[in-house]
Amino acid sequence: METKNTGNVCEEQVFDTIFKANSKTVFNYIYYKFGNEEKAHDAVQEAFVKLWENCAKVSPAKAKSFVYTVANNLYLNVIKAEKVRLKYADKTLKVTHESPEFLMEEDEFKQKLNRALDSLPENQRTTFLLNRIDGKKYAEIAEMEGVSVKAIEKRMHLALKSLREKIDGI
Amino acid sequence: MQENHLAKWLNNDLTEAELAEFKKSAEYASYERIITASNQLEAPDFNAEEALIAIKNQRTLKDAKVVQLHPFKKFIRIAAAAAVIMFGSYFYLNNLDENIVTEYAENKEVVLPDNSKVQLNADSELSFSERKWSKERNVELKGEAFFKVAKGKRFTVATADGIVAVLGTQFNVENRPGFFEVTCFEGLVSVTFDGKETKLPAGASFIVIDGKITKTSASKMQQPSWVTNESTFKSVPLKFVLSEFERQHNVTVEIQDIDTEQLFTGTFSNTDTDVALKSISAPSQIKFKFEGSKVLFYGDKNP
Repeated sequence: METKNTGNVCEEQVFDTIFKANSKTVFNYIYYKFGNEEKAHDAVQEAFVKLWENCAKVSPAKAKSFVYTVANNLYLNVIKAEKVRLKYADKTLKVTHESPEFLMEEDEFKQKLNRALDSLPENQRTTFLLNRIDGKKYAEIAEMEGVSVKAIEKRMHLALKSLREKIDGI
Repeated sequence: MQENHLAKWLNNDLTEAELAEFKKSAEYASYERIITASNQLEAPDFNAEEALIAIKNQRTLKDAKVVQLHPFKKFIRIAAAAAVIMFGSYFYLNNLDENIVTEYAENKEVVLPDNSKVQLNADSELSFSERKWSKERNVELKGEAFFKVAKGKRFTVATADGIVAVLGTQFNVENRPGFFEVTCFEGLVSVTFDGKETKLPAGASFIVIDGKITKTSASKMQQPSWVTNESTFKSVPLKFVLSEFERQHNVTVEIQDIDTEQLFTGTFSNTDTDVALKSISAPSQIKFKFEGSKVLFYGDKNP
């Protein structure tokens, strides 16, 4: 979702739009990095309060990268990553009539995937999850992280590779 | 297979050939499964509405004015008051007129801001404003003074009896109780007395004794005699002569059986009291007794 590049961030409406478009992603971004919901909430709070304070200096176009930078810098080298706990949507259970064995196996697989995700380096996990859960394009993730698209592709590739290796027990 | 092909695969960026090749690989099923499972992943709940409200609350808190108590402010107030007092008194003192006073038997020479010179005879007072001097050359005089005025704008001498105005000249102004005399030594002096202006050329005197104006074309001198320590009179009632004698010699004069209205013409020394006494008494045919700082002038009849 792109923010409209019109108006001034100091205007309530513009600010609210930017918030609605980006707050969830900021939250997830920090959560994927550190696995700490509380810290993710705090990061959203901090980032957008800072944005408001600097609303005159930050154009709406720059607002997005501004909040990611603030959120990211907030915990830079400060907190240790905790276990990232992710839930699975219940879609499969409702629409399919799988055998109990299959469901058990499926559950087991999901747990394995969770553990594998948890053991990924922070930047690979964040990239992978932003892409899979939030549907962020590589270019968007690159902008958030302040690296090249190619670097994100590399992280994505390595993430997927190591996930498979861990799950398949290689 | 191109670099980062797993990322390309997820992004549907593989060529058909590459995709076909990838699908044939042993790992493909595992990747497919990981992606299927990960597509069901969900991040923790996040209530954007609540978060926005929280931010707005914090914003109001931060926007609220914080009144800080400054102990320093008290000091500033005191300092400001002190500064006002200091500035005020400086300004007041600075604006105060210059004031030069001579005592009995004392002469002073004053140089005015424009280099005009004023010689102040005994028991006299001269005041002027140094600050306003560039705008107007005004002095106030009580007593007697000889002015050598530098050329320039109108120069005025204000006395209790009259105003003397010049442009640049030398003149003497004497103003004693009941006696007002202006003598011009050079140039032209304008004397305003009783609302009437009189022009006084060099060598002329304007004398007012007890309200009566006399104009004399007396002095051939270049400056008043008192400047050279002599007091000169021409047809001046004796009482003024005696009070001048008091001023010049710092003595108290007492009189007995003398007509002080009789006119005196002559000169006495301002330095030698004995000679001065003789100079006054002989032509007026009066006698005197000199004791300490008291002189008694008395008529012939008395012992």
